[in-house]
Amino acid sequence: MANPDLETPEFIERLRAGDRAAFALVVKHYHPRLLGAARTMLQPADAEEAVQDGWIAAHRALPKFEGRSALLTWLTRIVINQARMQLRKGGREVQFDPTEEGAADALAHRFNANGHWQEPPRAWALSGPDALLTRDELQHCLESHITAMPDNQRLALQLRDIQGLDFNDICNIMDVSASNVRVLVHRARARLFEMVDRFQETGEC
Amino acid sequence: MLKCQEVELRADALVDGTPLSRRERLSLNMHLLMCRHCRRYVRQLRALTAHLRHRESPTAHDDQVQAVLDCVHHSKQTTD
Repeated sequence: MANPDLETPEFIERLRAGDRAAFALVVKHYHPRLLGAARTMLQPADAEEAVQDGWIAAHRALPKFEGRSALLTWLTRIVINQARMQLRKGGREVQFDPTEEGAADALAHRFNANGHWQEPPRAWALSGPDALLTRDELQHCLESHITAMPDNQRLALQLRDIQGLDFNDICNIMDVSASNVRVLVHRARARLFEMVDRFQETGEC
Repeated sequence: MLKCQEVELRADALVDGTPLSRRERLSLNMHLLMCRHCRRYVRQLRALTAHLRHRESPTAHDDQVQAVLDCVHHSKQTTD
């Protein structure tokens, strides 16, 4: 989520006026999140470069920033645009629209023709010292499944469930409709749910 | 009465706190009252999304911040 201290009108005014300490504070708090967003689309070294270029572009544009969206949303949009430009240079294009990618709901096969569970969710151990979601092996597994997702699902998941942005901001950043963002987030969650459920059953990634 | 598969598709609204119409909320709650599999699905989906939220990155190290500031400063000098 955006840091409320960095989103007040007074703080934004300091930034617009070129206050170096204020800018350094924004970098300190938002750099890792921007890097996280760029890494959903690019290899780590390219993501670093996209974020660096994003900071340069943002610094130049700051005097014109009107605060119509949160600062974090505005910065994320700049970085995602930089990442898209990098991909274009390499002859790749990211399609954010979910209808283009045809990936089905990863849990669809768990239901019968009548729409009832034929393979219901297993009970996950959610508390105690050996709680499923805190196990190290599962973190690696989550990481590799997030990496293997289609780009648009990974970015939507990153912005919604990891960074905690609201849906309006995500629509604004990805330039897709609210219903499409919800489809992407749902599909990404269904993939991870299926993976965690299988891990609970088999202990394997 | 909603089918389980329809609940799976609508469970995100519960997790995200999306406002639902009275009718939608009633039909979801009715189903959840009667179906333990869907109750488990919603409970575990909530736990999964809460877990993902905690993976958010911490603040940047001072040397990372300095590297960004140097780069911005250098680019400004080149442009000026």
